[in-house]
Amino acid sequence: MSVDSPDKVIDRSAKLVFSFFLSSAGLWLLTAALLAYVAAAKLTDPFFLSTYEFLTYGKIKVAQANAFVYGWGGNAIFAVSIWILARLSQAEVRGSVFIVFAGVIWNLAITFGLLGIMDGHMSGHEMLEMPTEVWPAMLISYLIITFLVLVIHRSRQVRETIAPQWFILAALLWFPALFLIAWNGLEINPARGTLQTVLSMWYGQSLVWLWLTPVALGAAYYLIPAILGRTIDKYYLAIFGFWCIAALAPWSVVHHLEGGPVPMWIPAIGTVMSIAMVFPIAVASTNFHATAFMDIGKVWDSLPLRFVIFGTLSYTVSSYIGVVFSLPAVAKITQFTIINEFHFNQRVYGFFSMIIFGAVYFALPRITGKEIPKAAKSFHFWTSTLGVLMLLLAYLIGGLTHGVLAGQPSLPWASSVIQSIQPYFLITKFAFIILAFSQFVFVVNVWRVIFPNPFAFFAADDKEASA
Amino acid sequence: MSDDPKHSGNLPIETEFSDEEIVKSHVELAKTKHEPTANFLLAPLVFVFVFGCLIFVCSIQLAHSTNSFQLHPPVEIVELTPEEKEALRMDRKITSGEKIFAARCASCHQANGLGIEGQFPPLAGSEWVSADPGVIANVIIKGLKGEILVKGKKYGTSAAVNMAAVPISDREIANVSTYVRQAWGNSSAEVLEDDVSRIRAESSGMQDQWVGAELRKMFADSFGQ
Repeated sequence: MSVDSPDKVIDRSAKLVFSFFLSSAGLWLLTAALLAYVAAAKLTDPFFLSTYEFLTYGKIKVAQANAFVYGWGGNAIFAVSIWILARLSQAEVRGSVFIVFAGVIWNLAITFGLLGIMDGHMSGHEMLEMPTEVWPAMLISYLIITFLVLVIHRSRQVRETIAPQWFILAALLWFPALFLIAWNGLEINPARGTLQTVLSMWYGQSLVWLWLTPVALGAAYYLIPAILGRTIDKYYLAIFGFWCIAALAPWSVVHHLEGGPVPMWIPAIGTVMSIAMVFPIAVASTNFHATAFMDIGKVWDSLPLRFVIFGTLSYTVSSYIGVVFSLPAVAKITQFTIINEFHFNQRVYGFFSMIIFGAVYFALPRITGKEIPKAAKSFHFWTSTLGVLMLLLAYLIGGLTHGVLAGQPSLPWASSVIQSIQPYFLITKFAFIILAFSQFVFVVNVWRVIFPNPFAFFAADDKEASA
Repeated sequence: MSDDPKHSGNLPIETEFSDEEIVKSHVELAKTKHEPTANFLLAPLVFVFVFGCLIFVCSIQLAHSTNSFQLHPPVEIVELTPEEKEALRMDRKITSGEKIFAARCASCHQANGLGIEGQFPPLAGSEWVSADPGVIANVIIKGLKGEILVKGKKYGTSAAVNMAAVPISDREIANVSTYVRQAWGNSSAEVLEDDVSRIRAESSGMQDQWVGAELRKMFADSFGQ
């Protein structure tokens, strides 16, 4: 074997960590898909699994969101950001054992957290429903991983940093900040009255905007130039977009309290900041799409890039829809409807997950040296596109129907309003089945590469290292 | 791996842009901003224009919807016409009078104002009630003893109204007598608090209860004959 290129060395150093996080992320993705199906099925058939107390809708719904965000989201973020940062820093991943150790704690904490939720020990704070006992384990394991990622970044070859590094590092550091603020304000020194509601809701929404979103944006900022072989168009805007997200996103999320029992200025500020979020959305979509559409044929040919561009398009469209829904006049109709499901699912399925899929399909062949059959990836792409579009359209149209009908007090509730939304719940149920199937395809694709032969994994690793 | 390597586009060998190049070219881009051009660039101008508009819209929205950063939502100011105000005041007075009547008078005069034949005189349709407001006010302030004739029947042989022992304010007297004068088909004028105060002052020297005949003489013209 000839002398390996530096990239090969880096990939080999990242192999253990990447494989660990990716395979656990896959398991969490399937868990979340199963829970999502059960939750959706319960909405169309109330007697579905109704004899099991731990599978009641309130628990399943919450467990699904937590499994998805912390289980799939967390593990995928670790896998993708470690690899991208190592590659951009041209530095090897060190302390893999510690990272994997912390990763095991993180996954155990979430496992116990979900069992706690099912057992009825929810904390009652949005996206922090896991029992408070597991919070320290989550925070400590997260900090260990983040510290070792910062070590990689610190040993970078070029001192200057570029857009993907800003977004990914910022997301990694924002999460503990959000977590500590919420923990302090909700449990250690509980805020009084209304403030607690505001804080709880702020944490839940900021988690998506300041943790999942920047990682996906950072991955897109890396993958688009790497695959297309051209620099980001209008790159000088990227820094502006980054600081806009940092400054505006935590303010904009409070628009979800529109009409709630809080001082009027809170949702008003949220609305204004949401309108201002047009800046970073416009910047990111200009950067991504101006670059991608210069070579649209190549985008179509490369499956990882197809996933990424689907994600960025979905980010653009849905973020603008989110801005429109934050306007008080529109929120009057949409506020207390299933449109909220549209926002969450769009962000986590249509945007975050799609970009992560693209990043994984790009990174995995480089790390393992084994290619995933194109047909398998293509199948995954089309099934998830179908599932995501079905799910989002059902929630969007269903949510608007819901809002318009619920605004007419003369209509009987059960026989008219609920009856009209029922078909949309049925569509989401089928969409969740399709999504679960496509995610199963993804996990099989990934696992077949990581564990071609489960027992030979470590042996192959040793052989490669000694060669 | 049956797929055509030319089209898969993501085999490690095919990377056109190494990570080192990505970093270096973007760092360079951040330094130089953009390639030198002959004319101005359109994109920054569009961005500045769009963002300027957005900031304008945001400020307007902020000024209109924050409720001046007050803690409580704005109180809805309801402008009432003089008639509506008068109706509201009367309504409150009657409601208050009804409560006082139920608590202090109804045990003898009954909730329907008909009293008890031979013992407690009726208030509904009573000429004593519909006479000058001074009559009812005086009776409540000082009480009444001795026989009286109400609606052609004799009362007061066994019981007397002795109000001096029970403290009752002028406003309460005004409210309850207004209620009595307007309930059960009665339709006499309202009793004002000021009149009650005046009557109380006039009779302040009196130790004993009123006697029916005295009151009849004082307010002779309002009793009709």
